[in-house]
Amino acid sequence: MFDERKEKVKIQVSKSFDNLLVLDHLDFSVYENEFLVIVGPTGCGKTTLAHIIGGLYHPTEGQVTLKDEMVSPKRHNISFVFQEPSCIPWRTLWDDIKIGLEIKGANPRFIQTRVKEMIELVQLSGFENYYPYQISGGMKQRVAIARAYATDPDLLLMDEPFGHLDAQTRYLMQIEITRVWEQLKKTVLFVTNNIEEAVFLAERIIVLSRIPARVKGIVPVDLPRPRDNISPEFLKIRSQITQMCETAE
Amino acid sequence: MIISKEGWKEIGFNLASLFIAFSLWEIFTRYMDSPYFPGVGRIWGAFFLLAKRGDVEGITLLQHIVASVIRILAGFGAATVMAIPLGLLMGLYPNIYKRTRAVLEPIRFIPPIAWIPVAIVLLVGFSRYAFLIWLGAFFPIFINTLVSVPRVNPIHVNVTRIFGARRWYIIRKIVIPSVAPDMASGMRIGLGIAWMCIVAAEMIGGEMMGVGRLILKYAELIRMAEIIVGMLLIGLIGFLMNEVFLRVEKRLFRWRWEVSLD
Repeated sequence: MFDERKEKVKIQVSKSFDNLLVLDHLDFSVYENEFLVIVGPTGCGKTTLAHIIGGLYHPTEGQVTLKDEMVSPKRHNISFVFQEPSCIPWRTLWDDIKIGLEIKGANPRFIQTRVKEMIELVQLSGFENYYPYQISGGMKQRVAIARAYATDPDLLLMDEPFGHLDAQTRYLMQIEITRVWEQLKKTVLFVTNNIEEAVFLAERIIVLSRIPARVKGIVPVDLPRPRDNISPEFLKIRSQITQMCETAE
Repeated sequence: MIISKEGWKEIGFNLASLFIAFSLWEIFTRYMDSPYFPGVGRIWGAFFLLAKRGDVEGITLLQHIVASVIRILAGFGAATVMAIPLGLLMGLYPNIYKRTRAVLEPIRFIPPIAWIPVAIVLLVGFSRYAFLIWLGAFFPIFINTLVSVPRVNPIHVNVTRIFGARRWYIIRKIVIPSVAPDMASGMRIGLGIAWMCIVAAEMIGGEMMGVGRLILKYAELIRMAEIIVGMLLIGLIGFLMNEVFLRVEKRLFRWRWEVSLD
Protein backbone atom coordinates (compact mmCIF):
# COMPACT_ATOMS: atom_id res chain seq x y z
CA MET A 1 0.00 0.00 0.00
CA PHE A 2 2.87 2.35 0.70
CA ASP A 3 4.27 1.94 -2.78
CA GLU A 4 1.48 4.08 -4.11
CA ARG A 5 2.42 6.97 -1.84
CA LYS A 6 4.73 9.70 -2.95
CA GLU A 7 8.24 9.53 -1.59
CA LYS A 8 8.94 12.93 -0.11
CA VAL A 9 12.25 12.52 1.68
CA LYS A 10 14.90 10.12 0.45
CA ILE A 11 17.65 9.19 2.87
CA GLN A 12 20.79 7.42 1.70
CA VAL A 13 23.55 8.20 4.15
CA SER A 14 26.57 7.01 6.11
CA LYS A 15 28.19 9.00 8.86
CA SER A 16 31.37 8.55 10.82
CA PHE A 17 33.04 10.69 13.43
CA ASP A 18 36.79 10.23 12.95
CA ASN A 19 37.11 6.45 12.82
CA LEU A 20 33.81 5.68 14.51
CA LEU A 21 31.17 4.56 12.04
CA VAL A 22 27.81 5.72 13.39
CA LEU A 23 25.40 5.32 10.51
CA ASP A 24 26.06 2.47 8.12
CA HIS A 25 24.46 2.91 4.69
CA LEU A 26 20.99 3.80 5.83
CA ASP A 27 18.55 3.81 2.96
CA PHE A 28 14.87 4.60 3.38
CA SER A 29 12.22 7.15 2.46
CA VAL A 30 9.55 9.17 4.16
CA TYR A 31 6.23 9.48 2.34
CA GLU A 32 4.13 12.57 1.93
CA ASN A 33 2.10 13.31 5.10
CA GLU A 34 3.38 10.19 6.78
CA PHE A 35 4.03 9.74 10.49
CA LEU A 36 7.24 7.74 10.40
CA VAL A 37 8.92 6.63 13.60
CA ILE A 38 12.54 5.60 13.87
CA VAL A 39 13.18 3.38 16.85
CA GLY A 40 16.56 2.23 18.04
CA PRO A 41 18.59 1.69 21.19
CA THR A 42 20.15 4.61 23.06
CA GLY A 43 23.39 5.78 21.50
CA CYS A 44 22.78 4.18 18.11
CA GLY A 45 23.06 7.47 16.25
CA LYS A 46 19.37 8.38 16.00
CA THR A 47 19.98 11.99 17.00
CA THR A 48 22.82 12.27 14.50
CA LEU A 49 20.51 10.85 11.84
CA ALA A 50 17.76 13.35 12.67
CA HIS A 51 20.24 16.23 12.46
CA ILE A 52 21.51 14.99 9.10
CA ILE A 53 17.99 14.66 7.72
CA GLY A 54 17.29 18.22 8.84
CA GLY A 55 20.43 19.45 7.11
CA LEU A 56 22.07 20.55 10.38
CA TYR A 57 24.93 18.03 9.99
CA HIS A 58 26.44 16.75 6.78
CA PRO A 59 26.65 13.02 6.06
CA THR A 60 30.08 11.51 5.45
CA GLU A 61 28.69 9.69 2.46
CA GLY A 62 25.46 9.88 0.50
CA GLN A 63 22.75 12.47 0.72
CA VAL A 64 19.29 13.40 1.89
CA THR A 65 16.86 14.83 -0.60
CA LEU A 66 13.60 16.60 0.11
CA LYS A 67 11.28 16.96 -2.89
CA ASP A 68 14.18 15.80 -5.11
CA GLU A 69 16.51 18.55 -3.90
CA MET A 70 19.46 18.31 -1.53
CA VAL A 71 18.10 19.08 1.91
CA SER A 72 18.94 22.50 3.31
CA PRO A 73 17.23 24.53 6.03
CA LYS A 74 17.77 27.66 3.95
CA ARG A 75 16.00 26.19 0.93
CA HIS A 76 13.39 23.95 2.56
CA ASN A 77 10.76 24.52 5.16
CA ILE A 78 11.86 22.19 7.95
CA SER A 79 11.08 22.15 11.65
CA PHE A 80 12.79 20.31 14.46
CA VAL A 81 11.72 19.48 17.99
CA PHE A 82 14.90 18.86 19.94
CA GLN A 83 15.52 16.28 22.59
CA GLU A 84 16.87 18.83 25.06
CA PRO A 85 14.74 21.68 26.35
CA SER A 86 15.01 24.26 23.58
CA CYS A 87 12.92 27.24 24.67
CA ILE A 88 14.79 30.51 24.25
CA PRO A 89 15.13 31.71 27.87
CA TRP A 90 14.82 35.43 27.13
CA ARG A 91 11.74 35.12 24.95
CA THR A 92 8.16 34.86 26.12
CA LEU A 93 6.16 31.86 24.88
CA TRP A 94 4.57 34.09 22.28
CA ASP A 95 7.88 35.40 20.96
CA ASP A 96 9.39 31.93 21.10
CA ILE A 97 6.62 30.34 19.03
CA LYS A 98 6.86 33.05 16.38
CA ILE A 99 10.64 32.76 15.90
CA GLY A 100 10.42 30.55 12.80
CA LEU A 101 7.91 32.86 11.14
CA GLU A 102 10.08 35.82 12.10
CA ILE A 103 13.13 34.25 10.45
CA LYS A 104 11.18 33.35 7.33
CA GLY A 105 9.95 36.94 7.08
CA ALA A 106 6.22 36.33 7.40
CA ASN A 107 4.13 39.48 7.61
CA PRO A 108 3.27 40.61 11.15
CA ARG A 109 -0.49 40.23 10.75
CA PHE A 110 -0.10 36.65 9.62
CA ILE A 111 2.29 35.96 12.51
CA GLN A 112 -0.30 37.36 14.91
CA THR A 113 -3.08 35.01 13.80
CA ARG A 114 -0.86 32.00 13.24
CA VAL A 115 0.82 32.14 16.64
CA LYS A 116 -2.57 32.50 18.31
CA GLU A 117 -3.80 29.41 16.47
CA MET A 118 -0.75 27.42 17.50
CA ILE A 119 -1.07 28.45 21.14
CA GLU A 120 -4.67 27.26 21.11
CA LEU A 121 -3.65 24.05 19.36
CA VAL A 122 -1.21 23.07 22.11
CA GLN A 123 -3.53 24.48 24.80
CA LEU A 124 -1.26 27.17 26.17
CA SER A 125 -3.72 30.06 26.00
CA GLY A 126 -3.20 32.49 28.84
CA PHE A 127 0.52 31.76 29.07
CA GLU A 128 1.57 33.95 26.12
CA ASN A 129 3.63 36.33 28.24
CA TYR A 130 5.31 33.74 30.42
CA TYR A 131 9.02 33.03 30.23
CA PRO A 132 10.36 29.45 30.05
CA TYR A 133 11.57 29.57 33.65
CA GLN A 134 8.00 30.13 34.75
CA ILE A 135 6.49 27.02 33.13
CA SER A 136 6.80 23.25 33.54
CA GLY A 137 8.83 20.84 31.41
CA GLY A 138 5.74 19.50 29.64
CA MET A 139 4.66 23.02 28.73
CA LYS A 140 8.11 23.81 27.38
CA GLN A 141 7.91 20.80 25.08
CA ARG A 142 4.49 21.99 23.92
CA VAL A 143 6.02 25.37 23.11
CA ALA A 144 8.68 23.59 21.05
CA ILE A 145 5.97 21.66 19.21
CA ALA A 146 3.87 24.79 18.56
CA ARG A 147 6.96 26.57 17.29
CA ALA A 148 7.73 23.67 14.98
CA TYR A 149 4.19 23.54 13.55
CA ALA A 150 3.86 27.32 13.23
CA THR A 151 5.92 27.51 10.04
CA ASP A 152 3.75 24.85 8.37
CA PRO A 153 6.83 22.70 7.62
CA ASP A 154 7.30 20.34 4.68
CA LEU A 155 9.12 18.05 7.08
CA LEU A 156 8.79 17.96 10.85
CA LEU A 157 11.57 16.19 12.72
CA MET A 158 11.08 15.18 16.33
CA ASP A 159 14.07 13.82 18.19
CA GLU A 160 12.89 12.03 21.34
CA PRO A 161 10.86 15.09 22.24
CA PHE A 162 9.34 13.47 25.31
CA GLY A 163 12.49 11.80 26.61
CA HIS A 164 12.82 14.15 29.56
CA LEU A 165 9.20 13.95 30.66
CA ASP A 166 7.66 11.76 33.33
CA ALA A 167 5.58 8.77 32.20
CA GLN A 168 2.22 10.45 32.75
CA THR A 169 3.07 13.70 30.96
CA ARG A 170 4.68 11.67 28.23
CA TYR A 171 1.47 9.71 27.68
CA LEU A 172 -0.59 12.90 27.52
CA MET A 173 1.87 14.43 25.07
CA GLN A 174 1.66 11.34 22.85
CA ILE A 175 -2.11 11.69 22.68
CA GLU A 176 -1.70 15.39 22.00
CA ILE A 177 0.84 14.90 19.22
CA THR A 178 -1.45 12.37 17.53
CA ARG A 179 -4.35 14.80 17.78
CA VAL A 180 -2.27 17.62 16.30
CA TRP A 181 -0.96 15.40 13.51
CA GLU A 182 -4.45 14.23 12.57
CA GLN A 183 -5.55 17.86 12.44
CA LEU A 184 -2.65 19.21 10.40
CA LYS A 185 -1.38 16.14 8.48
CA LYS A 186 2.26 17.04 8.13
CA THR A 187 5.13 14.77 7.14
CA VAL A 188 6.57 13.78 10.50
CA LEU A 189 9.73 11.88 11.28
CA PHE A 190 9.77 10.96 14.94
CA VAL A 191 12.79 9.44 16.68
CA THR A 192 12.51 7.46 19.90
CA ASN A 193 14.08 4.65 21.92
CA ASN A 194 10.71 3.69 23.34
CA ILE A 195 9.02 0.86 21.43
CA GLU A 196 5.62 1.46 22.96
CA GLU A 197 5.76 5.11 21.99
CA ALA A 198 6.71 4.08 18.46
CA VAL A 199 3.76 1.71 18.09
CA PHE A 200 1.40 4.26 19.62
CA LEU A 201 2.35 6.99 17.17
CA ALA A 202 3.62 5.52 13.92
CA GLU A 203 2.12 4.72 10.59
CA ARG A 204 5.37 2.98 9.82
CA ILE A 205 8.30 2.09 12.06
CA ILE A 206 11.92 1.83 11.02
CA VAL A 207 13.91 -0.30 13.44
CA LEU A 208 17.61 0.51 13.76
CA SER A 209 20.36 -1.73 15.10
CA ARG A 210 22.99 -0.91 17.66
CA ILE A 211 25.86 1.30 16.58
CA PRO A 212 26.79 1.43 13.74
CA ALA A 213 23.10 1.84 12.92
CA ARG A 214 21.64 -0.21 10.10
CA VAL A 215 18.00 -0.64 9.16
CA LYS A 216 16.91 -3.89 10.78
CA GLY A 217 13.40 -3.82 9.47
CA ILE A 218 10.42 -1.71 8.51
CA VAL A 219 7.10 -2.39 10.23
CA PRO A 220 3.80 -0.83 9.13
CA VAL A 221 1.34 -0.12 11.94
CA ASP A 222 -2.18 -0.16 10.59
CA LEU A 223 -4.20 0.34 13.77
CA PRO A 224 -7.09 2.75 14.26
CA ARG A 225 -6.49 5.90 16.34
CA PRO A 226 -6.57 6.69 19.18
CA ARG A 227 -4.65 3.50 19.80
CA ASP A 228 -5.30 1.17 22.66
CA ASN A 229 -1.94 0.17 24.05
CA ILE A 230 -3.24 -3.03 25.65
CA SER A 231 -5.17 -4.37 22.67
CA PRO A 232 -3.86 -7.71 21.29
CA GLU A 233 -2.95 -6.17 17.92
CA PHE A 234 -0.96 -3.42 19.60
CA LEU A 235 0.88 -5.89 21.81
CA LYS A 236 1.59 -8.14 18.85
CA ILE A 237 3.35 -5.38 16.91
CA ARG A 238 5.14 -4.32 20.04
CA SER A 239 6.55 -7.79 20.70
CA GLN A 240 7.45 -8.16 17.03
CA ILE A 241 9.61 -5.05 17.25
CA THR A 242 11.04 -6.05 20.62
CA GLN A 243 12.14 -9.33 19.04
CA MET A 244 13.71 -7.51 16.12
CA CYS A 245 15.66 -5.40 18.56
CA GLU A 246 16.85 -8.44 20.50
CA THR A 247 18.05 -10.57 17.60
CA ALA A 248 21.75 -10.46 16.92
CA GLU A 249 23.08 -9.17 13.63
CA MET B 1 10.14 49.27 45.60
CA ILE B 2 8.83 46.89 48.22
CA ILE B 3 11.35 45.62 50.74
CA SER B 4 10.62 42.17 52.10
CA LYS B 5 11.08 41.08 55.70
CA GLU B 6 14.32 39.37 54.68
CA GLY B 7 15.35 42.63 52.99
CA TRP B 8 14.83 44.67 56.15
CA LYS B 9 16.76 42.11 58.15
CA GLU B 10 19.64 42.39 55.68
CA ILE B 11 19.62 46.18 55.88
CA GLY B 12 19.54 46.00 59.68
CA PHE B 13 22.54 43.67 59.84
CA ASN B 14 24.47 45.84 57.40
CA LEU B 15 23.82 48.94 59.49
CA ALA B 16 24.95 47.02 62.58
CA SER B 17 28.13 45.92 60.77
CA LEU B 18 28.82 49.53 59.82
CA PHE B 19 28.31 50.60 63.40
CA ILE B 20 30.70 47.92 64.66
CA ALA B 21 33.33 48.86 62.07
CA PHE B 22 33.17 52.55 63.05
CA SER B 23 33.27 51.65 66.75
CA LEU B 24 36.35 49.47 66.29
CA TRP B 25 38.07 52.28 64.40
CA GLU B 26 37.11 54.74 67.15
CA ILE B 27 38.49 52.45 69.88
CA PHE B 28 41.66 51.94 67.87
CA THR B 29 42.22 55.68 67.38
CA ARG B 30 41.61 56.44 71.07
CA TYR B 31 44.09 53.75 72.00
CA MET B 32 46.71 55.06 69.53
CA ASP B 33 46.01 58.69 70.41
CA SER B 34 47.98 60.04 67.45
CA PRO B 35 47.29 62.69 64.77
CA TYR B 36 47.88 59.98 62.13
CA PHE B 37 44.79 58.12 63.29
CA PRO B 38 41.89 60.60 63.43
CA GLY B 39 38.75 59.43 65.17
CA VAL B 40 35.29 59.22 63.63
CA GLY B 41 34.43 62.69 64.93
CA ARG B 42 37.41 64.30 63.25
CA ILE B 43 36.80 62.51 59.95
CA TRP B 44 33.19 63.65 60.06
CA GLY B 45 34.36 67.22 60.72
CA ALA B 46 36.80 67.09 57.84
CA PHE B 47 34.01 65.85 55.60
CA PHE B 48 31.81 68.79 56.52
CA LEU B 49 34.52 71.34 55.99
CA LEU B 50 35.48 69.85 52.63
CA ALA B 51 31.88 69.72 51.52
CA LYS B 52 31.08 73.26 52.59
CA ARG B 53 34.21 75.31 52.22
CA GLY B 54 36.22 73.14 49.91
CA ASP B 55 39.83 72.09 50.15
CA VAL B 56 42.96 74.24 50.42
CA GLU B 57 42.21 75.60 46.96
CA GLY B 58 38.53 76.14 47.62
CA ILE B 59 37.36 73.20 45.49
CA THR B 60 34.35 71.55 47.11
CA LEU B 61 33.80 67.83 47.54
CA LEU B 62 30.99 67.86 45.02
CA GLN B 63 33.29 69.35 42.37
CA HIS B 64 35.88 66.67 43.11
CA ILE B 65 33.28 63.94 42.86
CA VAL B 66 31.75 65.22 39.62
CA ALA B 67 35.19 65.51 38.02
CA SER B 68 36.12 61.93 38.95
CA VAL B 69 32.78 60.45 37.95
CA ILE B 70 32.96 62.08 34.51
CA ARG B 71 36.49 60.73 33.96
CA ILE B 72 35.46 57.28 35.04
CA LEU B 73 32.39 57.23 32.84
CA ALA B 74 34.45 58.41 29.85
CA GLY B 75 37.17 55.79 30.29
CA PHE B 76 34.71 53.07 31.17
CA GLY B 77 32.40 54.04 28.31
CA ALA B 78 35.24 53.92 25.81
CA ALA B 79 36.32 50.55 27.20
CA THR B 80 32.80 49.14 26.87
CA VAL B 81 32.30 50.45 23.34
CA MET B 82 35.57 48.85 22.22
CA ALA B 83 35.68 45.68 24.31
CA ILE B 84 32.22 44.35 23.47
CA PRO B 85 32.47 44.35 19.65
CA LEU B 86 36.06 43.10 19.83
CA GLY B 87 35.14 40.37 22.31
CA LEU B 88 32.22 39.30 20.13
CA LEU B 89 34.34 39.32 17.00
CA MET B 90 37.10 37.22 18.54
CA GLY B 91 34.59 34.93 20.21
CA LEU B 92 32.87 34.28 16.89
CA TYR B 93 36.16 33.89 15.02
CA PRO B 94 38.41 32.22 17.61
CA ASN B 95 41.24 32.08 15.11
CA ILE B 96 41.71 35.85 15.30
CA TYR B 97 42.18 35.56 19.04
CA LYS B 98 44.37 32.46 18.85
CA ARG B 99 46.64 34.11 16.30
CA THR B 100 46.97 37.40 18.15
CA ARG B 101 47.16 36.06 21.69
CA ALA B 102 50.88 36.74 21.94
CA VAL B 103 50.12 40.44 21.50
CA LEU B 104 46.91 40.68 23.54
CA GLU B 105 47.60 38.57 26.57
CA PRO B 106 50.81 40.21 27.83
CA ILE B 107 49.15 43.64 27.61
CA ARG B 108 46.46 42.35 29.95
CA PHE B 109 49.03 41.81 32.69
CA ILE B 110 50.65 45.23 32.53
CA PRO B 111 49.11 47.17 35.41
CA PRO B 112 47.57 50.52 34.45
CA ILE B 113 50.05 52.27 36.81
CA ALA B 114 52.92 50.97 34.69
CA TRP B 115 51.44 52.88 31.76
CA ILE B 116 51.73 56.23 33.53
CA PRO B 117 55.00 57.32 31.92
CA VAL B 118 53.68 56.41 28.48
CA ALA B 119 50.47 58.28 29.19
CA ILE B 120 52.43 61.35 30.25
CA VAL B 121 54.51 61.32 27.10
CA LEU B 122 51.73 60.50 24.67
CA LEU B 123 48.64 62.23 25.99
CA VAL B 124 47.52 65.42 27.59
CA GLY B 125 44.69 66.52 29.86
CA PHE B 126 41.45 64.62 29.95
CA SER B 127 42.64 61.88 27.58
CA ARG B 128 45.29 60.83 30.12
CA TYR B 129 42.69 60.04 32.74
CA ALA B 130 40.42 58.37 30.25
CA PHE B 131 43.29 56.27 28.88
CA LEU B 132 44.35 54.87 32.26
CA ILE B 133 40.80 54.10 33.28
CA TRP B 134 40.15 52.59 29.88
CA LEU B 135 43.14 50.28 30.38
CA GLY B 136 41.74 49.06 33.66
CA ALA B 137 38.18 48.53 32.45
CA PHE B 138 38.85 47.13 28.97
CA PHE B 139 40.13 43.64 29.69
CA PRO B 140 37.49 42.38 32.11
CA ILE B 141 34.78 43.34 29.62
CA PHE B 142 36.70 41.99 26.64
CA ILE B 143 37.64 38.67 28.25
CA ASN B 144 34.19 38.09 29.72
CA THR B 145 32.56 38.62 26.33
CA LEU B 146 35.18 36.55 24.54
CA VAL B 147 34.89 33.45 26.73
CA SER B 148 31.12 33.65 26.86
CA VAL B 149 30.56 33.26 23.10
CA PRO B 150 31.58 29.59 22.87
CA ARG B 151 29.25 28.86 25.78
CA VAL B 152 26.16 29.86 23.79
CA ASN B 153 23.81 26.88 23.92
CA PRO B 154 24.08 25.11 20.53
CA ILE B 155 20.43 24.06 20.82
CA HIS B 156 19.38 27.70 20.70
CA VAL B 157 21.53 28.22 17.63
CA ASN B 158 20.04 25.12 16.00
CA VAL B 159 16.50 26.31 16.77
CA THR B 160 17.17 29.26 14.45
CA ARG B 161 19.35 27.38 11.96
CA ILE B 162 16.63 24.84 11.23
CA PHE B 163 14.37 27.70 10.17
CA GLY B 164 17.08 28.86 7.77
CA ALA B 165 18.35 31.79 9.85
CA ARG B 166 21.34 33.67 8.47
CA ARG B 167 24.51 34.23 10.43
CA TRP B 168 23.67 37.84 11.19
CA TYR B 169 20.27 36.90 12.62
CA ILE B 170 21.88 34.24 14.83
CA ILE B 171 24.43 36.75 16.11
CA ARG B 172 21.81 39.39 16.87
CA LYS B 173 19.03 37.24 18.25
CA ILE B 174 20.85 34.33 19.88
CA VAL B 175 24.53 35.08 20.49
CA ILE B 176 24.20 38.63 21.84
CA PRO B 177 21.31 37.93 24.22
CA SER B 178 23.10 34.77 25.48
CA VAL B 179 26.32 36.66 26.06
CA ALA B 180 24.67 39.79 27.50
CA PRO B 181 24.67 38.67 31.16
CA ASP B 182 28.39 37.88 30.98
CA MET B 183 29.06 41.19 29.24
CA ALA B 184 27.21 42.94 32.05
CA SER B 185 29.18 41.20 34.78
CA GLY B 186 32.37 42.04 32.88
CA MET B 187 31.23 45.65 32.83
CA ARG B 188 30.56 45.57 36.55
CA ILE B 189 34.06 44.21 37.22
CA GLY B 190 35.49 46.78 34.79
CA LEU B 191 33.72 49.58 36.60
CA GLY B 192 35.25 48.43 39.89
CA ILE B 193 38.72 48.43 38.37
CA ALA B 194 38.09 51.86 36.85
CA TRP B 195 37.60 53.20 40.36
CA MET B 196 40.81 51.54 41.43
CA CYS B 197 42.67 53.36 38.66
CA ILE B 198 41.31 56.80 39.45
CA VAL B 199 43.96 57.80 42.01
CA ALA B 200 46.76 56.71 39.72
CA ALA B 201 45.14 58.56 36.81
CA GLU B 202 44.64 61.76 38.76
CA MET B 203 48.18 61.63 40.06
CA ILE B 204 49.38 62.64 36.59
CA GLY B 205 46.43 64.64 35.29
CA GLY B 206 47.85 67.99 36.31
CA GLU B 207 44.40 69.19 37.30
CA MET B 208 43.54 70.05 40.87
CA MET B 209 40.11 68.43 40.76
CA GLY B 210 39.08 64.83 41.40
CA VAL B 211 38.69 62.61 44.43
CA GLY B 212 42.03 60.94 43.76
CA ARG B 213 43.67 64.34 43.50
CA LEU B 214 42.08 65.34 46.79
CA ILE B 215 43.77 62.40 48.52
CA LEU B 216 47.13 63.24 46.97
CA LYS B 217 46.80 66.90 47.96
CA TYR B 218 46.27 66.06 51.61
CA ALA B 219 48.87 63.32 51.49
CA GLU B 220 51.44 66.03 50.85
CA LEU B 221 50.13 67.86 53.90
CA ILE B 222 49.98 64.64 55.93
CA ARG B 223 46.38 65.33 56.91
CA MET B 224 44.89 61.91 57.57
CA ALA B 225 41.27 62.95 58.23
CA GLU B 226 40.86 64.48 54.75
CA ILE B 227 42.66 61.54 53.14
CA ILE B 228 40.26 59.13 54.81
CA VAL B 229 37.30 61.20 53.63
CA GLY B 230 38.59 60.84 50.05
CA MET B 231 39.13 57.11 50.47
CA LEU B 232 35.69 56.53 51.93
CA LEU B 233 34.12 58.58 49.13
CA ILE B 234 35.72 56.44 46.45
CA GLY B 235 34.52 53.35 48.28
CA LEU B 236 31.02 54.71 48.71
CA ILE B 237 30.50 55.96 45.15
CA GLY B 238 31.92 52.74 43.75
CA PHE B 239 29.61 50.78 45.99
CA LEU B 240 26.56 52.79 44.93
CA MET B 241 27.38 52.47 41.23
CA ASN B 242 27.82 48.74 41.67
CA GLU B 243 24.48 48.43 43.47
CA VAL B 244 22.68 50.32 40.71
CA PHE B 245 24.38 48.13 38.12
CA LEU B 246 23.39 44.96 39.96
CA ARG B 247 19.76 46.08 40.17
CA VAL B 248 19.67 46.78 36.43
CA GLU B 249 21.31 43.43 35.71
CA LYS B 250 18.83 41.53 37.85
CA ARG B 251 15.95 43.22 36.09
CA LEU B 252 17.26 42.77 32.56
CA PHE B 253 18.37 39.18 32.99
CA ARG B 254 15.56 37.95 35.18
CA TRP B 255 15.36 34.87 32.99
CA ARG B 256 18.79 33.88 34.14
CA TRP B 257 18.42 34.50 37.83
CA GLU B 258 15.11 32.85 38.53
CA VAL B 259 15.04 29.18 39.33
CA SER B 260 13.25 27.04 36.79
CA LEU B 261 10.09 25.26 37.92
CA ASP B 262 11.00 21.76 36.78
